Amino acid sequence: MSLVPLGAFIAVSAALFFIGLGGVLVRRNAIVILMCVELMLNAANLALVAFSRRLGLVDERGSVFVVFVFVVAACEVAVGLAIVLAAYRNRPVIDVDQMAEIRG
Amino acid sequence: MTLDFLEPLLFAVLAAAILGAALAVVLADRVTTSALFMALAFLNMAGMFVLLGAETIAAFQVLIYVGAITVLILYGVMFTPQSPRAYGLFFQKQTPAGALIAALAALPVMAIAFSFRDSGAPPQRGGDLVPLGSSIFTDFAFAFEVAGVLLLAATIGAIALVRRERP
Amino acid sequence: MTEYVWLIPGLPLAAFALNLALGRYWLGRATGWIASAAVGLAAVLALLVFFETLGAGEGGRTVTLYEWFGVGDLRVPVAALVDPLSAAMLLTVTSISFLIHVYSNGYMAHDRGIHRFFSWMPLFVFFMVLLVMADNYVLMFVGWEGVGLCSYLLIGFWFERPEPYVAAKKAFVMNRIGDWGFTVAMILTFLTFGSVAFHEVFAQVPEVHAQDPAILTAIALLFFLGATGKSAQLPLYSWLPDAMEGPTPVSALIHAATMVTAGVYLVARSTPLFASAGPALLVVGIVGALTALFAATIALVQVDIKRVMAYSTVSQLGYMFLALGVGAPVAAIFHLVTHAFFKALLFLGSGSVIHATEQQDMRKMGGLRRKLPVTYWTMLVAGGALAALPPLAGFWSKDEIVGAAFVNGYPLLWGIGVFTGVLTAFYVTRALYLTFHGVPRDQHVYEHAHESPAVMTIPLVLLAGGAVLAGFIGFPPEAGFVHGFLEPAVAVEGAEHHAPDYLILAGLAATSVVAGLIGIAIGLAMYARRRPDPAAVARAAGLVYTLLVNKYYVDELYDRRAVGLFHAAFGAGWAFDVHIIDGLVNRLGWLMGLVGGGLRRAQTGVVGNYALSIVAGLVLLILVYGGYAAGVFQR
Repeated sequence: MSLVPLGAFIAVSAALFFIGLGGVLVRRNAIVILMCVELMLNAANLALVAFSRRLGLVDERGSVFVVFVFVVAACEVAVGLAIVLAAYRNRPVIDVDQMAEIRG
Repeated sequence: MTLDFLEPLLFAVLAAAILGAALAVVLADRVTTSALFMALAFLNMAGMFVLLGAETIAAFQVLIYVGAITVLILYGVMFTPQSPRAYGLFFQKQTPAGALIAALAALPVMAIAFSFRDSGAPPQRGGDLVPLGSSIFTDFAFAFEVAGVLLLAATIGAIALVRRERP
Repeated sequence: MTEYVWLIPGLPLAAFALNLALGRYWLGRATGWIASAAVGLAAVLALLVFFETLGAGEGGRTVTLYEWFGVGDLRVPVAALVDPLSAAMLLTVTSISFLIHVYSNGYMAHDRGIHRFFSWMPLFVFFMVLLVMADNYVLMFVGWEGVGLCSYLLIGFWFERPEPYVAAKKAFVMNRIGDWGFTVAMILTFLTFGSVAFHEVFAQVPEVHAQDPAILTAIALLFFLGATGKSAQLPLYSWLPDAMEGPTPVSALIHAATMVTAGVYLVARSTPLFASAGPALLVVGIVGALTALFAATIALVQVDIKRVMAYSTVSQLGYMFLALGVGAPVAAIFHLVTHAFFKALLFLGSGSVIHATEQQDMRKMGGLRRKLPVTYWTMLVAGGALAALPPLAGFWSKDEIVGAAFVNGYPLLWGIGVFTGVLTAFYVTRALYLTFHGVPRDQHVYEHAHESPAVMTIPLVLLAGGAVLAGFIGFPPEAGFVHGFLEPAVAVEGAEHHAPDYLILAGLAATSVVAGLIGIAIGLAMYARRRPDPAAVARAAGLVYTLLVNKYYVDELYDRRAVGLFHAAFGAGWAFDVHIIDGLVNRLGWLMGLVGGGLRRAQTGVVGNYALSIVAGLVLLILVYGGYAAGVFQR
């Protein structure tokens, strides 16, 4: 019997998720925003693994899902950075508040 | 003396490190600082996975996140030099609203989060590599292939996006 | 013979179709001969039908061609009622139409639109014959509308000038107002009697009269409204003088002899209805008498020869309605027939004068009797008939009317009739004297005046013959041929028959003759001897004279009140359309723009805002889910 309850893990996951969410909504630097998104994905991974390992019988499908989340996260970072770089080439800003050309 | 205190202690340390690093990512001055703290968070996350008994996942975490993604982020930072600015300009115009809404979302979730209890089943031995591997390559083989295609598409997309048109 | 009665309208219809189709490019002046021949043949057929009706006795035969339509209980056949009344009308209409057609060959010879003229003229004859022959109100209405249409087409014949087509529109619109009355009356008739056929309706009149006399009065008055429109009585008369813009043969045919008599025919045909319709007949009589007087006063001071004749027509039609109103429908029809002859003659004669002098203003005429002898003598005969001088036709018929007014107990109407007789004699004397006698006032006009060709003068002579002889069908008074012939057709059940008191009749006749002679005497005195001088009289009359010359300003009154009313209504309608309906649509569009503009503010372009809205949605979802989970919302 483990001494660390499941709820603790979930609490950490939730806290990490909302810190990342706050970062996405609050920071100007596009790259920092991407980093915060990664934090959110990590939080999700933690929750998935925790539930798969601790909730009822061990179900490895949670971990399988996590593997796929890894894949998607990696793709997303790659493409996201490509976008930021492409936008940077147009105008040398990575300040999301200044990238409002799609206004209107 | 039992070593029972070890697990909760490790958990506490890891949790504090993760959350602290995450806060640092959000609030740090320089981008590079944020990036490195993010790597720290990832590393501690791998520790969490080990604590849960999912070693394979932990290995993947280190490989992919700490290894590849952190490097990618740093590349991104490298290619987008910015002039130094005041710290106040680091935050979006919508910061008050954003922080408020995030808090609004956080509160109910946090409230429920603590209430989860695990079952009384004995912890499984033997790690998770075998079940994980057999699961991926049998039940979820199709999803695995699709994930591969997704990676290909992302690669091509990223290349296409940053290509310079040759005059 | 009666089986061929449908050829009477059929022949002119065929002439119309032929002339319309081929007239412009191939037939040219031949259209005139074709139309005249068709109408002439129709007249011959009408004569044959007339003879057959003479021997047929009472009642009348119905000749059905086919059933036009039947809706529910309403059955409208295309059927002709051949009885004394319709036979008499048929003969009058076709024979006078024929003479006028012949005359028109000369009058319209140099007109570029002659093929159009001789398309519309036989078409008119077709509709008029249809009107007179119909055995039910709906078919009659078809003819009624048709003659209105042809009147419009023919008044506006010279449409290159603005006055004719304005006059045509005016005629049509005023007719339309009357037609509304006719239509409503038709509808009420069907609702009350369950049929629109004459014999079926008249058979049920006593029954309906017992139950609901008011509806009969209403129907009768509405029919009379239609008659006022078509026959130019007060208040729908002012189109007739304006209709003089049309060619003179048109004025002669349509606005003297035939179309305008349709109203008289309608009321006469509906005698059984009107007799039981309470005060309706009295209304008819009063309106007729007032119109007669009113129009005669205006005719006193007109300077256009055709206008004098036009107002004279209105006045004489008033006499006919007066006759109907005092319960003497036979007298009305009698006068209709005689009037057709001498009024058509007066118009055709005027046409001859116009043809000779190329203008219509009597102030520029004078002394034309030497240049236009045939025209002069025939006009003289017609004028005498109009002034009711014995033994000319007009005397017999008009005298019978005023006599009936007196004998049937309407002394006031009799007085109006006699006084109008004085005026009539005066204005016709004036017109004839100014035109034919005295010193020519315009040398140029006088030089160029010439008598009309034979094709025009022969009809004049024939009509003059009619004006002399037609009266004798009503001799002796009250017991002549026409009375015996027409009586069955307009008989009213239960009407009393007085034996004519010849002494009273002779006295009344003498009064009428004296009235006429007085009028002539005053006319001659004023214009032949200039004692009193007309100009002096005009000055002395002052305001009255101005009133008369300007036709009592009726046209101006109508224009300001009635037409103005419509303009206001149209203006209101237009304003409604533009401001309210269009405004609604425009406001809606503006609203859409406003809303769109407002919603557009959500598209800030700042990506962070979009992320914020996503998260806000997430919050909402969490709250809702939480609410459900916590049982806050009802499932």
